[in-house]
Amino acid sequence: LIADAGSIFNIAGHCPGESLLNDAPLNVASPVASLTSLIGNVETFIADPRNPDLLKWARAAAKRESPLVLADALRRIVSPELDYTTASGLARLLAQLRARADLGERKVKIAFLASYTAKPLAALVELFLAGGNVAAEIYQPEYGTFRQELIDPTSDFHAFRPEYAIISATWRDLGRRPGVGDDKATVDTLIAAEVAEWQAYWGAAQSAGAQVIQDNFVSPPWRALGNIDGSHPAGLTRYVTLLNQALQDAAPASVTIHDVDSLAAEAGRWKWSDERFFHEAKLPCAPEMLPDYGHRLAQIVLAQSGVSRKCLALDLDNTLWGGVIGEDGLNGIAIGQGDTQGEAFLAFQHYVLALKRRGVILAVCSKNTEAIAREAFERHPGMAIRMDDIACFMANWDDKATNLGRIAEQLNIGLNSLVFVDDNPVERSIIRQLRPEVAVPEMPENPAGYIEALDRKRYFETVAISCEDLRRTAMYHAEAARKAVVSSADDLEGFLRSLELVATVGPVDASSLERTVQLINRSNQFNVTTRRHSSADLLAMIGDDNWITLTISLKDRFGDNGLISVILARIERDAGALAIDTWLMSCRVLKRGVEDAALNHLAMLARKHGLAAVTGEYIPTAKNVLVKDLFATLGFSEVAKAVDGASRWSLTVDDMLQPRKHMIEMVEK
Amino acid sequence: MDRKTALDGISDVVRDVLGDDDIEIREDMAAGSLEGWDSMAHINIVIGVEKRFGVAFSTTDLATLRTEGATVGCIVDLVARA
Repeated sequence: LIADAGSIFNIAGHCPGESLLNDAPLNVASPVASLTSLIGNVETFIADPRNPDLLKWARAAAKRESPLVLADALRRIVSPELDYTTASGLARLLAQLRARADLGERKVKIAFLASYTAKPLAALVELFLAGGNVAAEIYQPEYGTFRQELIDPTSDFHAFRPEYAIISATWRDLGRRPGVGDDKATVDTLIAAEVAEWQAYWGAAQSAGAQVIQDNFVSPPWRALGNIDGSHPAGLTRYVTLLNQALQDAAPASVTIHDVDSLAAEAGRWKWSDERFFHEAKLPCAPEMLPDYGHRLAQIVLAQSGVSRKCLALDLDNTLWGGVIGEDGLNGIAIGQGDTQGEAFLAFQHYVLALKRRGVILAVCSKNTEAIAREAFERHPGMAIRMDDIACFMANWDDKATNLGRIAEQLNIGLNSLVFVDDNPVERSIIRQLRPEVAVPEMPENPAGYIEALDRKRYFETVAISCEDLRRTAMYHAEAARKAVVSSADDLEGFLRSLELVATVGPVDASSLERTVQLINRSNQFNVTTRRHSSADLLAMIGDDNWITLTISLKDRFGDNGLISVILARIERDAGALAIDTWLMSCRVLKRGVEDAALNHLAMLARKHGLAAVTGEYIPTAKNVLVKDLFATLGFSEVAKAVDGASRWSLTVDDMLQPRKHMIEMVEK
Repeated sequence: MDRKTALDGISDVVRDVLGDDDIEIREDMAAGSLEGWDSMAHINIVIGVEKRFGVAFSTTDLATLRTEGATVGCIVDLVARA
């Protein structure tokens, strides 16, 4: 027996604060808490996903509870820290729950094309997708056949028509490797040939209608050339590093490269690769690394579908600084250089700011006297986060569950977009029970561990960073300024005129593709059909003369709202109509007249193509009641209505004597 | 470790992997004789047993457990030896 295996499994680490949770009030009076006896247990397992009793508890609960209640609990418990046996057991249990009842999950088809035994990993991807309320149907070809499956258009893979194709191999599959005598130019040729091979697989996957998620290659842990394995042309480490970079550079927008190599680096390469299980069962990595691997893959799929968190709500005392400002005073809190405790909190603030810069909205949710709390942000020289960085500041003496509700309302986002960070286990416990939609990560007692605790959860996973992401806080500030003006403006028209609105309209192009796909997959409220389209779909539409793709960006005197509306319409020559497939708009520009301006533009395009009518559809969902009457308001006539509430609308362009009135200056891109 | 403790722990793992709390295993049972104990479940049982007892089997051990006629007792042997 190999004796040192114990350490392999101790990756995630337990938080010293966990025992406190037993003292947390589990019977807070609330409709949610009284709903089910599960709540207390669920809270315990969210706080400690590596609890050895989790799987047994879940199996027992499956016998007592309704599938819906247990599935909801599991959705909140699943976490990348789960141990492998527990995670695979939960995956199996979830499949059983699905067989018993419709869990109301969104369905998605994924093909998992791997050079290794992918079944255990695929099951975990499925588990973590369930955490995002997605039920995955996963197709896996026979072991060793993924290349043929991709390339043969008559294969089962092509017949499956997946939305996503995960393509994954290991360094062992690299047929081309540098030889000892090879110079850099020769190695570059090998890399180019390797990239070309994978590009061919991407093309094949895309021809099946799939968006590609390509795992990059993990360098083996051993280094035949020692230190220079990373720099010498013959080094495999150098080769894999350059290959990964070349794959990344070659990947179009419709291919996402999954950086598996970074997971191995985080874990430590020897821990990552337990070769025994490759020899025994062709597993791609050590079994205990599989949950984290599956979690990352699932988060990428969820991010592509627009399921990720948007806002980080932060407690203040002992979360952003050490001490209690109301008691210790402005000069008594620990934050800033020169003090171990203060530097740990400062490092966390810098991490939070890095999230903010990439588009995560920051909010404060703290029990404090507002003026005292603000003073730290305005006057303390050691603070890195300043008032300008916070889009919504809630420091008062109301309970935090109420304040989180207010934050969601003010920012016009769902509670399920929030992550709440608080050092206090009792507050965390209460929020987990009263605001189950909010993600509440378990935090260690030691502030130096805050970054890891938050970062490992991958709440804010994204496929791409758009310009809008980078400006988001500024946009939310501008929204607050606009709200201040509207209260003083006499009438709506005067208000709109005072905004000095300028809209830029034009077809989707390379620069707007990412943001457009993001909006298509995230917008739920102002969205008449809620049809989701991938970047591959969109690229196909751009290249098709029968499709009109439109994006609208909106500026006003307070700032640039960025790209806020997308319309995709099909030219139906036989019907003589321009048929709107997708029409969505960001809710932050409601009531500015954008929809009127958009319809004028559509009517103009219809005339230009010799089409007599513009037609539209409304497909009701739980979230898009906002646009139920959109077509009626814009002068369309209802031509059909289905029993499920879906309706079809038509507007004859010639009947539209006057363009719709609005206060927007239109600029064509 | 005594064989009874080892068998109880292995039994727990088998229940977790096969998702059935009523499973009773004995040392003389052939590995794979239980319904659902296929090659994937076998790997998951091995992984679960390693984790539970903090051991890591050698490739020789892993190969032994795969041979025709390997029993639950073989797993007990490996665990009890640690």
